[in-house]
Amino acid sequence: MQIYTVEAILLVFLILITGCIIYERDLLSAVMIYCAFSFGAVLLYLMMGSPDVAFTEVVVGTVSTIFYVIALKKIDRWCK
Amino acid sequence: MMKDPFGGMLLNTAFRILVPFSLVYAVYVLILGESSPGGGFQAGVVMGFGIILARLILGEDSGIFNIRLKNSLALAGCGTFIYTLAGWLTLAGGGKFLDYSFLPVAMEETHELHALGILMIETGVTICVMMTILNIMDAVVRRSED
Repeated sequence: MQIYTVEAILLVFLILITGCIIYERDLLSAVMIYCAFSFGAVLLYLMMGSPDVAFTEVVVGTVSTIFYVIALKKIDRWCK
Repeated sequence: MMKDPFGGMLLNTAFRILVPFSLVYAVYVLILGESSPGGGFQAGVVMGFGIILARLILGEDSGIFNIRLKNSLALAGCGTFIYTLAGWLTLAGGGKFLDYSFLPVAMEETHELHALGILMIETGVTICVMMTILNIMDAVVRRSED
């Protein structure tokens, strides 16, 4: 029962993070919040018993954050 | 004198500790991928992460870790070729495609042949994924310079 409670809290957390990413005006903050989304997804995958997928999510989340930050160097940081 | 060769304590520590650790850990993930979490894709991404980190710290002009776009494309194709070579070897040994029991290698145990075949295809996947990530990095950086 408790594990389902933690999973439900994590899912609500992920939905809140997604809303924050959609309504964020600063694109650099959006990238950083997306990194937090990746971390929450990793915890959820670990709780569901698939460490393989969690490992992939950790690494790909880190590398994609690097790519987003590099791409943000040339476009405008603020979304108007 | 050579206290901070990479421009600051943070970059120095990152280059001295994170880059070798991620490269060695990628090989560990690749070799132990059969019995523990990990495998070819994860090893390739970790190795690509180490090289990307080195390139971000050292800059684009340094000679070390600077794999050109042409070479990385060719090496990605080589990774795919290693994967299919394992399949062709099993075909040449008389079995079906990627049927590791028919690898033409002198080993008695079947599970040793399976381990060898899986290591071979995972090495191919690792090279392909690592070079594809470096390609994406090159594309992003070059697009931003135009």
